[in-house]
Amino acid sequence: MKLNNVIMRTMTQMVFFIIFLFSIHIFLAGHFAPGGGFVGGLLMSCAIVLLLITFDLKTVQNLLPINYMVLTASGLALALLTACISAFAGEAFFTHYFDYFTLPLLGKTELHTAMLFDTGVYLVVVGVTMIIIQSIGGDE
Amino acid sequence: MAVQILLNVFLALVWMFLSNTFSGTGFIIGYLLGLLMLYMMRHMFKSRFYLHRVWAVIKLFFLFLKELWNANVDVVKHAMKPHITMSPAFFAYPTELTADWEITLLSNLITLTPGTIVVHVSDDGKTLYIHAIDLEDVDEAIDSIKNSFEKAIVEVTRT
Repeated sequence: MKLNNVIMRTMTQMVFFIIFLFSIHIFLAGHFAPGGGFVGGLLMSCAIVLLLITFDLKTVQNLLPINYMVLTASGLALALLTACISAFAGEAFFTHYFDYFTLPLLGKTELHTAMLFDTGVYLVVVGVTMIIIQSIGGDE
Repeated sequence: MAVQILLNVFLALVWMFLSNTFSGTGFIIGYLLGLLMLYMMRHMFKSRFYLHRVWAVIKLFFLFLKELWNANVDVVKHAMKPHITMSPAFFAYPTELTADWEITLLSNLITLTPGTIVVHVSDDGKTLYIHAIDLEDVDEAIDSIKNSFEKAIVEVTRT
């Protein structure tokens, strides 16, 4: 018997995006306010878990055709490369750089290489969480 | 489509509240972020990602401008000729469009490109009767409308 979970599906379609947006906000806020790559990544994987609860594993794979192994690996590579920038420039490993830029829409913005490192953390957290949940939940 | 636009605007508002930027810039940034998210999750909705449709409307508009230009040049050529060489005719055009507004749009586009005027739509809405000022080949005229305007309109309305 298959229950008609139309209310669940419709609400998920709205709520998923709000959680997604909140995770991006938390991720970007990390430098000056509580938040950062770790919580942001966890929130993002929470959003995907919500999708997994509502739909089944196969549908979610079709919705988001991401190989989480590759995602984790690229996150690690990004973090490592960010740390290596300073080594190539002849300074100590893991030295960060920042500067102020005037971007369209955003105005004067401080861009920091810690952001790239945080992006790596974000990707690794999402990837690892999803690998754990999918390998427990998926029954081959 | 309407649901997707509504959701996108709603997400932009949520972003404004989250990041405390109650300005046009905040709205635009939120809207772009929402657009990106909707694009990532486009398979979740039954209809297409709505930007495809917006793009189809823009293409239809430029197609209309192009045809308007070409057809007007044709009419000017006919008007400048010393002798009348054109051969006016009526012909029936079988349309596949079903919705009322699609047929209206197609008729208006055909009428606004000079050389052809829609004079009547059949009662069952499946045939348009068109008057052309210079008709050499009926099949060719039907094909050219079918391949340009009707195709572009179908592109807009396809779910």
